[in-house]
Amino acid sequence: MRITLQEDLDSINANLLEEGQLVLRALRGALNALREADAELADEVIAFDDEIDRRYISIEQGIEVLLARQTPVAVDLRLVLAMLHTNLHLERMADYCVTIAKLTKLVANVEPEPRMIQAFEEMGSRAEEMIRVALDAFVNRDLEEASSLVDLDELIDRANRRVVRQVLELGPDPARTEWGLRMIVVSRCLERIGDHAVDIGEQVAYLVTGEFREFTDASHPVERS
Amino acid sequence: MTDVDPRAQQLFLTDGRVRRRRIVNRVMEGLATVASATAVAVLVIVVVSVVRNGWPALNANFFTTSPSFSAFGESQGGILSSIVGSVILVAFATLFAVPVGVLGAIFVSELAPRRLANVVRLALDVINGLPTIVTGIFVFSALVLAQGQSALAGSLALAIIALPLIARSTQEVLRLVPSSYREAGLALGAPRWRTVVGIILPTSLGGILTGTTLAVARVAGETAPLLFTTSLAATTVTWDPTQPVQSMPLTIFQYAEQPDPSFHTKAWATGAVLLFFVLLVSLASKFFLARARRKLSG
Amino acid sequence: MSGDTILNVAPIEIAQSRERRPVTAARETVFDIRNLSVSYGKTPAVKDVSFEIYRNMVTAIIGPSGCGKSTFIRTLNRMNDLVPSAKVEGDVLYHGQDLYASRVDPVQVRRKIGMVFQRPNPFPKSIFDNVAWGLRVLGMKDNLKDRVQHALEQAALWDDVRHRLKKSALGLSGGQQQRLCIARALAVEPEVLLMDEPASSLDPIATSRIEDLMHTLKRDYTIVIVTHNMQQAARVADLTAFFSLDVLPDGARTGLLVEYDATEKIFTQPSDKRTEDYVTGRFG
Repeated sequence: MRITLQEDLDSINANLLEEGQLVLRALRGALNALREADAELADEVIAFDDEIDRRYISIEQGIEVLLARQTPVAVDLRLVLAMLHTNLHLERMADYCVTIAKLTKLVANVEPEPRMIQAFEEMGSRAEEMIRVALDAFVNRDLEEASSLVDLDELIDRANRRVVRQVLELGPDPARTEWGLRMIVVSRCLERIGDHAVDIGEQVAYLVTGEFREFTDASHPVERS
Repeated sequence: MTDVDPRAQQLFLTDGRVRRRRIVNRVMEGLATVASATAVAVLVIVVVSVVRNGWPALNANFFTTSPSFSAFGESQGGILSSIVGSVILVAFATLFAVPVGVLGAIFVSELAPRRLANVVRLALDVINGLPTIVTGIFVFSALVLAQGQSALAGSLALAIIALPLIARSTQEVLRLVPSSYREAGLALGAPRWRTVVGIILPTSLGGILTGTTLAVARVAGETAPLLFTTSLAATTVTWDPTQPVQSMPLTIFQYAEQPDPSFHTKAWATGAVLLFFVLLVSLASKFFLARARRKLSG
Repeated sequence: MSGDTILNVAPIEIAQSRERRPVTAARETVFDIRNLSVSYGKTPAVKDVSFEIYRNMVTAIIGPSGCGKSTFIRTLNRMNDLVPSAKVEGDVLYHGQDLYASRVDPVQVRRKIGMVFQRPNPFPKSIFDNVAWGLRVLGMKDNLKDRVQHALEQAALWDDVRHRLKKSALGLSGGQQQRLCIARALAVEPEVLLMDEPASSLDPIATSRIEDLMHTLKRDYTIVIVTHNMQQAARVADLTAFFSLDVLPDGARTGLLVEYDATEKIFTQPSDKRTEDYVTGRFG
């Protein structure tokens, strides 16, 4: 039955899911720091990224050794490749959390605009949900759940498109303008986190069907009803 | 239909060389068939002529009376004491030869250093090459001159003849036992002799029996070594191995020497009985061999 | 919500699977091989090999044909004694005791260091007697049935044969026969199990079962396996020794140890070019 291979796959899989939980924590921390303009918490989020990076590297090495020693094939091979990608996507998400935290620190002395903070809170919650859905789909090999990420992502994208107008409405105060410009990047980060969740969903689809395919093609948008 | 590639067609066409090869093939097959048919024919002819010539004498009386020789008139005797004698001779010969032959073979194949093994093997070959009459003379000078003739002396002579046969066939069988059994036994931390006794010997038992029965069949028909060692026998049945005994080969010889043709018929009949006995033993050996093969191959 | 509740977590142990880093783990030396050379008559087979084999690990010996893998593993339980011309130089220390010291009895050595061979070689006896034979010979006759059952269980064969223990072992499939041979070796309670290409005559599924078995058995035994199948070494071994052929100044060819390291190291970044060429399939 190839006990070693199964044990190694399980171990990497478990590590990956834990990494997902860490990313969720980092995101929640980044959002809270942003809302409270809390530079200290932002520092913690930045430091916490080392933890995620260690996890990322250990998974990466685990996969390297597994490929070298166990030569997985068929579904096992697809799982390993999907885990390899998912690992990278999760690590990227964590990097975006760090970026949000850094931006928060830069404008910590400026009073946040409540309306926009409210919008980010919503976007952030959606991003969190998407991460959960992506991980859940991965665990359950659930193609339908994975495809649902596209619709969730669409909501974040819309919110992101609204941010520029909101920034323009902030008024002429240079400090607030700077805050607003920073917030455009924050919004962009949250939007990218959603994209990475969709990518994880695509890995799930590959794992299940064995076919590479993008759910959405950015350069050839498809009309959806 | 697919088209045939002309080069492929060319490939298998019959040419002169192929034809000659075929003819040579046929000729060789034919020669081999004739040769083996000859061997079978010899056996059939021998058996048929022996049985046909001895048939008139083969009756109940023949098996229940002992030989009697009177220079005049028809023969009245049978071969009872000869059969008993042969059984005694062969039984004791087997008893002497089997332990020595089998243990010797185990020593040579399993235990002895190579050089010593070669010496023993050579000795066995020399014994095998001894003319049986010489073996008879040897036992005569070593035993009979001092003790007089006896069944035991005859058995000893037969045992000397059987020994190299048994040893050689046992060696062959031991060689058939896969060396992996020896390795397996030794790798378990078993001493060498335990491996031999516990694994090698049981595995090769069938083969050893085969060799032994063939040796028995062979010595049962020996005449020369008995001439000096157990030929001066009473014509009555005796089970005492310290006394000389009658034996079938010698009885054939003695019947054949008599002037009256009725004795000659008895000689043929005795030959038929001996032949039948040898045939039976050979068949038994085949049976053991088949069993041994089955055991080795699972 | 305070950040503490979210981020202030105990640092997470990098929980890689258990035997990821065997080389750095605490370990106990079973064999200490020092400058070992073996020759058959005047033909050298293995030259100047030195390394240590550790307890409760699977150590694989890999290398091309003729590199002396089998010769080497057979020096570890003195099976080479069976070859009259074999000559062993250097030391094979087993827990510090030189196995080739003059007072050492090779029969005793083989009791402690069992061996499984390339071709399954069950005795032409019943399944039960195959396992019991060694026990009887070594005088381990108490609880014979339990011992036989335990050995068969360890070899993952008990369920296959429990109802036909009296049947001939030769009726088993190749893979079952090999597991029977493993059970037979385990029954006499060795400390080390040497396996000389134990799966080379088996089909992939039987091979996989043997490999799984090694994985379980290393909890209780130290395993050394010779294999010409690199992937097998990669799959089962914690440590891997790569042997190769060397041409001596006089033109003779002999086996030598090129590299010895954690298996993952050998198969991801070997330090010797020859190892890299061999594991990647680029010879010469």
